[in-house]
Amino acid sequence: MKIFIMPPNSLILYDLVERFGHQPLSLMGALKDRVNSKEIEAPPLNVTLDDVKLGLKYAGIEIPSGIRGRMAIYGPLIDQAEAAIFMEDAPYSFGCVGCQRTNELAKLLVRKRKVPILSLEYPENEDEAKVMVVEIKEFLEELK
Amino acid sequence: MNNDVETRLILIAPSSDLTPDRVARFVHNLGFLVSVKETCYGVVIEGPKEEVWHTLTEVRKLDPNRIFSKIRAFPMGDIRRCRAHHGSRPGFAQLEKEWKDLCLVEKGLVCLEKGEKPPELKKRTKMPVSDLKKFIEEESP
Repeated sequence: MKIFIMPPNSLILYDLVERFGHQPLSLMGALKDRVNSKEIEAPPLNVTLDDVKLGLKYAGIEIPSGIRGRMAIYGPLIDQAEAAIFMEDAPYSFGCVGCQRTNELAKLLVRKRKVPILSLEYPENEDEAKVMVVEIKEFLEELK
Repeated sequence: MNNDVETRLILIAPSSDLTPDRVARFVHNLGFLVSVKETCYGVVIEGPKEEVWHTLTEVRKLDPNRIFSKIRAFPMGDIRRCRAHHGSRPGFAQLEKEWKDLCLVEKGLVCLEKGEKPPELKKRTKMPVSDLKKFIEEESP
């Protein structure tokens, strides 16, 4: 099954979802085509006109362009998602997922689709990590 | 780049005895049609999807609970990202944070492998208002 992961570029979630036999829907996969397109000079910083139009499907015109641009990439992934895993407390201040509003909107759109969702927090110690891995495994096994 | 070509990061957890150098040599010795680049956290491999997958399966056997992997959007050595060409690497801080957490995830995988029951956790709670008030009222010396 196709699993939407949040943060969408999470190494831990990507690895675990794949390890337990499912297909993760990740930012890296979505960006691969754009990165290799000759039209875009410096992805993911640049967007095309089509991206702007596509983003409007997920975020209204009054929404800041940064969110709409990100939603143009996240949106099609959410549409494909058959289940989702959210990891809260990600180091949002870093990396390409540095927009909390986009993440909130993406999570809302996933919830609206009424697919099974597992919400977790980044582990801070061994016990939390054990619980996290077991919960992910059980969640993914139930989906099969 | 062809759509059948995949670039993958292979990360070694900090608790593993493996080194990126050893993994890179191992990949070379496998003889699959993949390019390999040694990095500080492990290796980057690139090649046809199936070959990359076979390589990953073999590399995982070296230390199954301490080797992790994800795909990468940018091709190996892309001048927009490669540090040798002064490329930026905006996602690296998150990768570094998660790489540090891999030794915790490893404990979870070991727990699963042994069939242990995970411990019961206390739910994380927010700071009570009374504590916050105490902090506010505290006078600095």
